[in-house]
Amino acid sequence: MNLELLAPELSLAATAVVLILLDLFIERKGVLTVLSIIGLAVSAGFAIALWGTSQAAFNGMLSVDNFALFFKLLFLGIAALIILASVDYAPKFSRFQGEYHALIVLSALGMMLMAASAELITIYIALELASISLYVLAGFLKDPKSTESSIKYLLLGATSSAVLLYGMALVFGSTGTTQLAEISQAVQNLGATGVGDNPALMLGAVLLIAGFGFKIAAVPFQMWVPDVYEGAPTPITGYLSVASKAAGFAIILRVFFSAFGTPEWLSMNWGLVFAALAAIGMTVGNISALPQINIKRMFGYSSIAQAGYLLVGLAAMGVGAATSTLNQSTVMFFLLSYSMANLGAFIAIIAITNKINSDLIEDFSGMSKRAPVLALGLTLCLISLIGMPPAAGFMAKFYIFSGAVQSDLLWLVIIAVINSVISAFYYLRVVKVMWLGEPASTEKVPSSGALRVALAITCLGVLFLGILPGLAIKGAEFAAKMFGS
Amino acid sequence: MLSDYGFVGLFIIVAVLFSLLLIILPVVFRYLKLVPHNPNAVKNATFECGMETIGKTWVQFNFRYYFYALIFLALDVLVAFIYPWAVNVRDLGTSGFTAILIFIAFIVVGYLYAWRKRVLEWK
Repeated sequence: MNLELLAPELSLAATAVVLILLDLFIERKGVLTVLSIIGLAVSAGFAIALWGTSQAAFNGMLSVDNFALFFKLLFLGIAALIILASVDYAPKFSRFQGEYHALIVLSALGMMLMAASAELITIYIALELASISLYVLAGFLKDPKSTESSIKYLLLGATSSAVLLYGMALVFGSTGTTQLAEISQAVQNLGATGVGDNPALMLGAVLLIAGFGFKIAAVPFQMWVPDVYEGAPTPITGYLSVASKAAGFAIILRVFFSAFGTPEWLSMNWGLVFAALAAIGMTVGNISALPQINIKRMFGYSSIAQAGYLLVGLAAMGVGAATSTLNQSTVMFFLLSYSMANLGAFIAIIAITNKINSDLIEDFSGMSKRAPVLALGLTLCLISLIGMPPAAGFMAKFYIFSGAVQSDLLWLVIIAVINSVISAFYYLRVVKVMWLGEPASTEKVPSSGALRVALAITCLGVLFLGILPGLAIKGAEFAAKMFGS
Repeated sequence: MLSDYGFVGLFIIVAVLFSLLLIILPVVFRYLKLVPHNPNAVKNATFECGMETIGKTWVQFNFRYYFYALIFLALDVLVAFIYPWAVNVRDLGTSGFTAILIFIAFIVVGYLYAWRKRVLEWK
């Protein structure tokens, strides 16, 4: 048992416990924000110190490699930005501040374990740790909408967990092991005809896709997204749309690359499943986003569409040579740039909706005069989500689409590009309302220093990834290469 | 492969037959006059010990009981885990002792939380 391999997770768990205890005994709740940021930073420090190791821990249940560490750092960063952005929002729930911060930290912990787990049961436990924290967070406002979103998320999430477990049981029954590496071995021993004669194994793999598809909000498992996004507290909506999705993709990459990645006839099959999901997801997401008048609902549908673009990368990974790590690194780069852009947009939305007390897009009218910096940041992030240069989204889409073209998925790329054009309509509508609309009042929109810092970090990140993507893509490539054991 | 499930099938058949037998036997014994039939008030009472309910049984309980149930659950888990440790305390040595201390610390955090959130006060 090698506990230092688990140092980032252990320190984060300790942070959560200290947060809960401290909340009971202190009156000044601002300390909680500082403490959570420190805890996340310490955990990130441990993760950076582990960079470069590649080994299995706890009898192969967790694998500590650069792939996992890349995602751990991503989740820690996202959680820190969300906590910074919550500073303006937290007074809305004055009673449960300690729990709020602790639950964000705990769900980040669950996601970190998800990225590292190399065994089906560990995957499930990590997934539940992340999800249950999020179910509670979604209902934190205690108004009817928030409660509805929490209940819907809980019920549908439990169903998807059941589907996932059923898939795991079938895979375990057909291969006799829960270790991803051993599943891969068993599948290769079965051979093409052996797998063809084993419908239970194929059904298991499909149910795994369905279970994980819920997490990443792939169509047709997206029904929960709009309602949950609308009702949940805005920082949690941002957290859901970014971290939960990234964790889902981390686990899909790990499972389908480690367990079903080789040989090629096998990866080809699930690659095509992902290609179909991508095509439906992009189209449904974008077309449903068009008529939305509530900005949080619009972002819900937009995140479904973004999951579709990401699935293009997964499809390319399966259909192309699965041994090459190029497509993994493009998916990781897309996740990084999507996280930056979406978080930035949500941070700006938190500040604006806090002031105007409405989530309707029309109420954003003339925001460029009332809050020029926020409007500028939101515009930059929206441009990145469309995929226009110089923002990060352009490079991310460019990498993913070129990977798909190299894997002979030209039809999918054509659908994706058409969808990007459709998406420009509803993203730019927000920009138009903000810059060309008449302001409803001349009152400035206030924002705290912490929120401005968070917005600055995301906007700089978006620009940095867009103009100098080389460093990040190198890091992602390196992380995907070390994707061992 | 399928024959391996034969045992399970056998168990199902035995289980069904056994249950049916237990239901039918008293009826058959009564028919054969093997068992006497002389009921009285005590014999026919709903509960062998305890009182008959007064009024409706579908009453709402105070939801505070639910907190106590939760707190009790934590204690229950604590006991369930400490007991096997206590039996083997000599063999498990220091590492077992530290592990159980950490475990108790977790439960104590839960109790501290409940105490500070005024769950233990009946108001």
